[in-house]
Amino acid sequence: MDALAEFREQVRQWCAANIPPEWRARQTGATDAEFVEFQQEWFQRLRAGGFAVPHWPREWGGGMPVAQQAVLYSELAAHDAPRLVLAFVSIHHAASTLLAAGTAAQRERHLPAILDGEIWCQGFSEPDTGSDMAALRTSARRHGDTYVVNGRKLWASGAAFADWCLLLARTDPKAPQRQGISYFLLDMRSPGVEVRPIRQATGEWHFCEIFLDDVEIPAANLIGPEHQGWQVAQRTLGAERGLTMLELAERLAHGGFRRLVSLCARPRPGGGCALDDAPVADRLAQLETELAGLRGLCADLVAAERPGPAEASIVKLYYSELLQRMTDFGTEVAGVSAHAVLRKPRSSGWESGAWMLDFLGSWEWTIPGGTSEIQRTIIGERGLGLPREPVVPR
Amino acid sequence: MTGQLSEPVTGFAEAHDDLRAVARRVLGASAPGEPQDWTPIAASGWPGLEVAAEFDGAGATFAEVAVVLREMGRALTHSPYASVTALTLPALAAVTPNAARDRLLRTTGAGAAVPIVVAGGDAKPPWGGSGGFVPFRIERRDDTVHLYGTTEFAADVTAATTLLIPAREPDGSAVLVAVSPGSPGLAVTEQPILDATRTVGAVHAEDARVDAESVWHWTGPGPLRALFERAALATAIDSVGLAEAALEATVTHVRTREQFGRPIGSFQAVKHACADMLVALRIANRLVDAAVAAHVHGAADAWIAVARAKSHACAVAVDIAGKAMQLHGGMGYTWESGIHRYLERATFNRALFGSPAEHRAHLARRYREPDFTP
Repeated sequence: MDALAEFREQVRQWCAANIPPEWRARQTGATDAEFVEFQQEWFQRLRAGGFAVPHWPREWGGGMPVAQQAVLYSELAAHDAPRLVLAFVSIHHAASTLLAAGTAAQRERHLPAILDGEIWCQGFSEPDTGSDMAALRTSARRHGDTYVVNGRKLWASGAAFADWCLLLARTDPKAPQRQGISYFLLDMRSPGVEVRPIRQATGEWHFCEIFLDDVEIPAANLIGPEHQGWQVAQRTLGAERGLTMLELAERLAHGGFRRLVSLCARPRPGGGCALDDAPVADRLAQLETELAGLRGLCADLVAAERPGPAEASIVKLYYSELLQRMTDFGTEVAGVSAHAVLRKPRSSGWESGAWMLDFLGSWEWTIPGGTSEIQRTIIGERGLGLPREPVVPR
Repeated sequence: MTGQLSEPVTGFAEAHDDLRAVARRVLGASAPGEPQDWTPIAASGWPGLEVAAEFDGAGATFAEVAVVLREMGRALTHSPYASVTALTLPALAAVTPNAARDRLLRTTGAGAAVPIVVAGGDAKPPWGGSGGFVPFRIERRDDTVHLYGTTEFAADVTAATTLLIPAREPDGSAVLVAVSPGSPGLAVTEQPILDATRTVGAVHAEDARVDAESVWHWTGPGPLRALFERAALATAIDSVGLAEAALEATVTHVRTREQFGRPIGSFQAVKHACADMLVALRIANRLVDAAVAAHVHGAADAWIAVARAKSHACAVAVDIAGKAMQLHGGMGYTWESGIHRYLERATFNRALFGSPAEHRAHLARRYREPDFTP
């Protein structure tokens, strides 16, 4: 057995011993407290196995070769493991920002804390700046050793549970848009921070609005050079796109597709099953094919030393729209009964098998993180070298 | 931009890059639709790529052949090369060795002969127990062997120096019969088609007497199934090649063509359409690469990867070629622009060796297996 196969076997055994049985049932209808407790428990269990932050540098507790990480995510998906929902921003965006632009003191303060369960959220979008994020208006004015921040942030996923926030705010209102933004580490317990969860289309309350009213941030919590926050964010945002997308693609191809096939093979009241309908079988095979292509692209993205300028956008766009097509199809096949599934397991992904809720939830992929339209523009301009649209002066 | 989409499966990235560059130069010398001169192909050593060293070949794999096939799709090359490498050489390699077979293998690899397997382009996927290439029938009378049968839409049969006809003995055993195209009782007729970059024909045998020495037995089981897999895979490779070229032509056009005072490629409607073409092409390419890898490694379930690649890549190529015509505007609809050739070749590819729906029907049969895992 080669080393990678050996590692796969090791992960399989770990999964069998460590994935809590019945977690889906227990997380269906779970309260916020039960959700947070379960997420923290699962994170610590992964940490004990050496699987919580495999993508971090070795000195901080990671250092797993990329090929092994791919195997790890594939096996976790195949075993239908819970997702790290709560720690997602912490272990990916916060960590990559700290590692790329943080001071030694900032890393020392936060990276071990993240391993101990410190939760982060992202304060980027604002009510008036969705796709046009560089137009953000939240202001941070320096007074001696502190910045005083005022503004509103929107779509901060999990902010209600967060200890810290990655915050973008304008420090130089006179500079060109992208030259006047700074990047801060904001303690969510600071006076003047108020979080209001927003109810989403699915009925869940995961996204939040953050109100910032004369919030003081010590200058020591500026990350990267002042006024260069946009550049830092651009550099670190896509840092782990490959592996996070690989994980999601694997989940869709394993648990997601398996649930879809068993839905289609389920006996119907009048006899037979949906698979007997040739168009149903055809669409399933089409989805299987697209999933195979997506998994391949993700594997390439992970393995690439220098991915092309549009690769991350291609993968994000394709995953989002494939997820939407697949959950739409599941909803169609499940029929009226899909509408009687009122809750899906928390800690699951977008392929939970609660088809209508998963379908609604798929817009969490086609809208945030750069809408599908923005991705197509990026792919056209950076991937194909097409000319930009004329700039409207403002 | 999209030139280096294919990931080599054998780890010879640099060798593939060189091969690709040479192929692009050699094939670019012929106008699309014009029959490609065989001499530079033979001189480049491409027919012998996959031929074993003991027959003076390069001993490479189908992954290297795939590099050339993809370039032929890009250049809309009109040549029997795909038939020779996808069908002839594996067929010759899969029959019981004999002096005549060995000689043919050697001359074919050297590019000095162009034997063609009579394989119907209208064959259906064989994986369910039916379908596949339909063999001719052999009748044995006293000491003589007689051939009966018809195959249509068989690629390159009119260019063949020898016809290799899959046939069945009276006892049911499968054989390959090597005959000269001019043999009495054998009629080879070109069937004109809209895709001017391809030549197909019908082969009809009515009491065609063949030499008993030229009836060769296969060495392994399921030879026609294996050949079908190769034919379908080669077609999918061709489709991603031509789709890539259609996208490149489109991108070049929309970057330079101006309307309303700016390049039409700066309009979102056009830009996003091009982005969709690129995304679709990436997925198709990935599926084709996976199928080539599975085939080269001789995976038992390689047919799954081939069915995915054939159904998806050939369908996507039609979408891309169609969008290429649309985005070229009125000019793209002219005969002279040549954009129509991409669409004709793409749609013909889609029809060859099983439609997308037929391939997917085979994939879908697995869903009923109790232990199905994605």
